[in-house]
Amino acid sequence: MIEQLRQTCRRLLEDGRVQVVIGYGQSVPGRPAIPVFIRRPEDADLLVWNDRCFTNLTAYLKRPEVRALGRPAVVVKGCDERAVVVLEKESQLIPEDVHMIGMVCAGMDDPPAAKCAACDAHVPRHADEVIGEAPNPAPEPPGPAQRYAELAAFMELPQAERMAYWMGELARCVKCYACRQVCPLCYCERCIVAKNRPTVIDTSATLAGNFAWAITRAFHLAGRCAGCDECTRACPAGIDLRLLNQSLARVAEESFGYRAGTDPQAEPVIGAYALLDQESFIR
Amino acid sequence: MHLKTFRRAARDAGLNPYLVEMANIREQCSWVHHDREAATAKAIEVIRMTVEKVRRNHALEPIKVPLTPRALVIGGGVAGIQAALDIADAGHEVVLVEREPSIGGKMAGLSETFPTLDCSQCILTPRMVEVGQHPRIKLYTWSEVEDVQGFVGNFRVTIRRKARYVDIDKCTGCGECWTICPSKKNLSEFDYGMGMRKAIYIPFPQAVPARPVIDKDDCPRLKRGKGCGLCEKKCAAGAIRFDDEDRLVEEQAGAVIVATGYKLYNIGRDQEAGLAGYGEYGYGQYKDVIDSLQFERLVSASGPTGGELKRPSDGATPRTVVFVSCVGSRDNAKGLAYCSKICCMYTAKHAMLYRHKVHDGEAHVFYMDIRAGGKNYDEFVRRAIEQDGAQYHRGRVSKITGEGGKLVVRGADTLAGVAMTIEADLVVLAAAMRPADGVRRLAQMLNVGYDENGFLSESHPKLRPVETNAAGVFVCGACQAPKDIPEAVAQASAAAGKVQVMFNQGELTREPEIARIDETNCAACFTCVRVCPYTAIERAEVRSPKGTLIKRTARVNPGLCMGCGTCVAVCPCKCPELEGFTEDQIYSMVMSLA
Repeated sequence: MIEQLRQTCRRLLEDGRVQVVIGYGQSVPGRPAIPVFIRRPEDADLLVWNDRCFTNLTAYLKRPEVRALGRPAVVVKGCDERAVVVLEKESQLIPEDVHMIGMVCAGMDDPPAAKCAACDAHVPRHADEVIGEAPNPAPEPPGPAQRYAELAAFMELPQAERMAYWMGELARCVKCYACRQVCPLCYCERCIVAKNRPTVIDTSATLAGNFAWAITRAFHLAGRCAGCDECTRACPAGIDLRLLNQSLARVAEESFGYRAGTDPQAEPVIGAYALLDQESFIR
Repeated sequence: MHLKTFRRAARDAGLNPYLVEMANIREQCSWVHHDREAATAKAIEVIRMTVEKVRRNHALEPIKVPLTPRALVIGGGVAGIQAALDIADAGHEVVLVEREPSIGGKMAGLSETFPTLDCSQCILTPRMVEVGQHPRIKLYTWSEVEDVQGFVGNFRVTIRRKARYVDIDKCTGCGECWTICPSKKNLSEFDYGMGMRKAIYIPFPQAVPARPVIDKDDCPRLKRGKGCGLCEKKCAAGAIRFDDEDRLVEEQAGAVIVATGYKLYNIGRDQEAGLAGYGEYGYGQYKDVIDSLQFERLVSASGPTGGELKRPSDGATPRTVVFVSCVGSRDNAKGLAYCSKICCMYTAKHAMLYRHKVHDGEAHVFYMDIRAGGKNYDEFVRRAIEQDGAQYHRGRVSKITGEGGKLVVRGADTLAGVAMTIEADLVVLAAAMRPADGVRRLAQMLNVGYDENGFLSESHPKLRPVETNAAGVFVCGACQAPKDIPEAVAQASAAAGKVQVMFNQGELTREPEIARIDETNCAACFTCVRVCPYTAIERAEVRSPKGTLIKRTARVNPGLCMGCGTCVAVCPCKCPELEGFTEDQIYSMVMSLA
């Protein structure tokens, strides 16, 4: 698989179809792979593929300094590519702008990460080319019940307990904004926290400010979050932001049958209107 | 309502009117609370918030938007005709779109009109000709409105000109084609199936334009792609075009009048969801059970029988006729809750016309109530009963069955308290009025509201009866509610008057409390474009003086924006700012409560 990936990288660069390949490179063994930006065919051997390739590399597509390198190819897993579909729906990319090299993925980490345990996209669906053999027979894709299992268990708790949980978790937030930086869908030119007239979100790491930030971030991803869980992985305080993202994703899926980034034809749930839309949440 | 008054006072005093704010402590406070103490505390807070807001108000100037002084009228029935003529006579251009081959609508098919019994076609056709000849009316028949873009003053309308297979510019309307056409046995839509027409036809002799259309499902040449072609050979003008196709044309308009009219409730068994139909009346099963519009054609001098009343099954003159009113109206169980308003009157007219044609015949009318409000209306009904001998029975008909060439009508006379059985030769059902097909799609295209029955919603039932909540879109005729000809005409003139008021201004004045977008910070996700209910936000590009693309951005069209603030709510980086409700204002209002 790795040889095929390196060959693809060389071919794309030699043909001049792309000017840069964004992929995974070796770091200290056992640590997460680091992103590498391959610009010459002879550097293709720097690419690696193993169960440490956590990073959602599509987050680099929004960076001006990456855009300046020319047309990119990006190595994606089945979960990562959903972000590209959302970016295309939100006019941030056109499909011709980027070449997606999809990797068949058996899941990251050992034991598998939470998102991998309930993964239904081991084989990328929207990539321009896919490297690796699809598992045969294909495993039964997990349903919503499995995908939202942790959230469902959490929501079983009484409201006071959930509030206490978030008070404890968010008290540790230091407002480093790593969650924002790794998110492929946080592409605003001026983040709402940088808007200071008026300062709606307290920029210091107070509990109120942390709540305001965490809630705003989750709301801005409502019906958009592609579920790569990079925010959770990047959080130095170990806050399980995945729970917040999932609770909004579940509403979009249950109420409107919409899962961000899974269907390039579907209209984004925020901004699409259908006569049959459920209105049960209006009271 | 009162904010306007105070703003005007400020303007008269030399202040910018948009510096005035009102703290509503009446409707939003004192009128809705019982606890006086708490309400007083709330009133203080409402005032405190409003003070914070008004401190941050900006002086604003109304926005001027150019307009196209040209009206689109959708529907060429009597209402559409009236509206089009009024606007055109006032000196403005009109585009009139009608989906049938001729204008005239339902009224062109009526026999005589209540309460004067003047001939419907005799009074309507001169108006139709006026439309056809008017230098300022552009007429599209056999055409439908496909799409409406733009906004008040500046609508862009796409019209589908359906394939007519006849070049109406070359055609002289001589009639050679429909005389020679061998395909004769096609049910006439204009006669509601009571008569036949050719495959190439004009719906009725006074059609405007007097240009035929070929029904592609009836024409042997169009069905098989070869053969026949007699009309083409006979046409001296060379106007037959078997290769004709639907074409889309675009027109500009500053205002839209919707006059799409009505259709009758389908009495038979096949019904839309929620309606049950009246299968027990045998409509569609017995040829001699007909609806009111079919009866109009049977007694019309220009109808398929030349005005002689012959029943559909065997052409015999009916000796006993039963008229049933409220079929589908005022019936929550099987039909529609509302009163169709005109049935009482036309049923009286039908009974009267029948007695005028068959002097020794019996006319029986089953009714629930007689609703004859209107000038000379009740007198008309009394005349049908007292002078023309119509026999009125207050009660419902339960069942109609066919037995030995007769129709047995079983009903009740609730005033006499007896069950009734009448052996009839013909039964006429006064079916409810419903909005014409396709009106919901049109309403959605125009952003006009409609009620659960599909009738279009006026802006205010009393004070804004022809306006809609979509700026620049007006309604008239039966698409708004069931109504008779005089009312439809009056409403059409009212709508035309409103359009003239708008056009005479020369340009549109719009409220300045609208959104604008901070283009420097816009990330161009265009979520605002998707959510804007007024399609007021467009995708724009910022380019350098040399023309290189600097960035893409959303941009508000001030002519369309209604200042609802949806874009502000949905933008993640808060780039839209609503003038008069800026984030700074809202924030300080909220903080004043802390």
